[in-house]
Amino acid sequence: MPVTIAAEVLSGCTGCEIALLNTGDGFLKLLDRIEIVHMPLLMDSKYFGPDEGSEEIDIPRSDIGFISGSIRNREQLLLARTMRERCGVIVAFGTCAAYGGIPALINLFDNKDLFRRYYRTAEATDSASSPCEVVPPLLDRTFALDEKIEVDAFIPGCPPHPDSIADALDRLIEGRLPETPVQSVCDACPAKREGKGTVQKIKRFLKNARYQPEKPLGEMRCLLEQGLLCIGPVTQAGCSGKSGCAPRCIQARVPCRGCYGPVRRGGNQLLDMLNALASNGIDTKNLPDRLSMLRFSGAHSMLPRQVRKPSS
Amino acid sequence: MSEWQPGFEPKILAFACNWCSYAAADLAGTARMQYPTNIRIIRVMCSGMVHPGLVTEAFQAGADGVLVMGCHLGECHYQDGNHKAKARLAVIDEMLSLLGLEQERFRLIWYSSAESERFAAVAREVTDVLKKLGPSPYRRDASEYADKGIIQCL
Repeated sequence: MPVTIAAEVLSGCTGCEIALLNTGDGFLKLLDRIEIVHMPLLMDSKYFGPDEGSEEIDIPRSDIGFISGSIRNREQLLLARTMRERCGVIVAFGTCAAYGGIPALINLFDNKDLFRRYYRTAEATDSASSPCEVVPPLLDRTFALDEKIEVDAFIPGCPPHPDSIADALDRLIEGRLPETPVQSVCDACPAKREGKGTVQKIKRFLKNARYQPEKPLGEMRCLLEQGLLCIGPVTQAGCSGKSGCAPRCIQARVPCRGCYGPVRRGGNQLLDMLNALASNGIDTKNLPDRLSMLRFSGAHSMLPRQVRKPSS
Repeated sequence: MSEWQPGFEPKILAFACNWCSYAAADLAGTARMQYPTNIRIIRVMCSGMVHPGLVTEAFQAGADGVLVMGCHLGECHYQDGNHKAKARLAVIDEMLSLLGLEQERFRLIWYSSAESERFAAVAREVTDVLKKLGPSPYRRDASEYADKGIIQCL
């Protein structure tokens, strides 16, 4: 009997589902072993929630539930809870579900700020009152999945590499949980490390890396040693899949942005990176755009609301 | 600064290095010096091993103040451990402002193993400062203080 799968997208961009389709031939082979019973993105399965007059959300029971995206409003919270109830195993699929991802950047502001910015101070549209009908009410911030429901497995990545998705699916079908390696991006990075100590200051993001385009990556000097803010040391490895290639951003000769989240669950990318820079004698006081180190892992109260001094 | 209530006793966590600061604390103890019991000491081998994550974890678990204590600069048992601790001070300042806590809640202090009197004096001083600052909003019992209007609960 095929394993049944349900999938939901909460506050996310559906890029993870595109990555799932990108598993290519592997996905076609998998289709014999799995049956997708619910996936609003691919198939027509409608349900109504409390805002449409139905008592409960009608999601069929299944063995495995994939949830991508973080939890931002009441409807998503209800969806997540219903999925938890109806699925045997819940997989947090992608960085948004696992660590909050890009949507968690809003945690720096409260909803009042958000609505004022969008409905009252936007330059291109007329002012309007905040929406209160039809759209589900917002929660006070963005939550990663495991802040609200119990999660059995995590597949981080923005999006996850198709190899790790296929791998995870393979394991799940066999009744095992997918494993995430406790390795940093640096472990998978071929760039040449010549020793630290020469960098005093981190360059601004506008600066490009120094490299010779015709030469392979192994001959490019480590971007951090070049003075670029590469947060590979505090980011989980895996973005290059099983091919043994270099991490994806490094392939493009730009610094790692940290999309796989912290190396260990519960880690704080900003804190760990600042600590690493400070203990190597780099001035962290003047680091440009520090909070960007949490741009993918702002849930779990990592990015607290900024208390602004009242303007007088 | 918020008014402190007579009943409020701050919880202060101190990471003291084995070679100087803990020895100073030990000496203060054997000499029967009096200092507030608000300070809870954790012995570590070197102030340089105190990752900023430990400090933020202490604050998030509800500590009202955290102290990191090391040997005087240049006197580290491991050559440069206290210099590393000093370099991390900037990181801790950063994390404190991100957590919305006052800078006064954290202090990095150097002792020699003979400075037991200074140890007791600093313990008294820090306790006083924190009593005036009031409870941390991360305390488990923060809601009680919020009910009394002493702090804003997170």
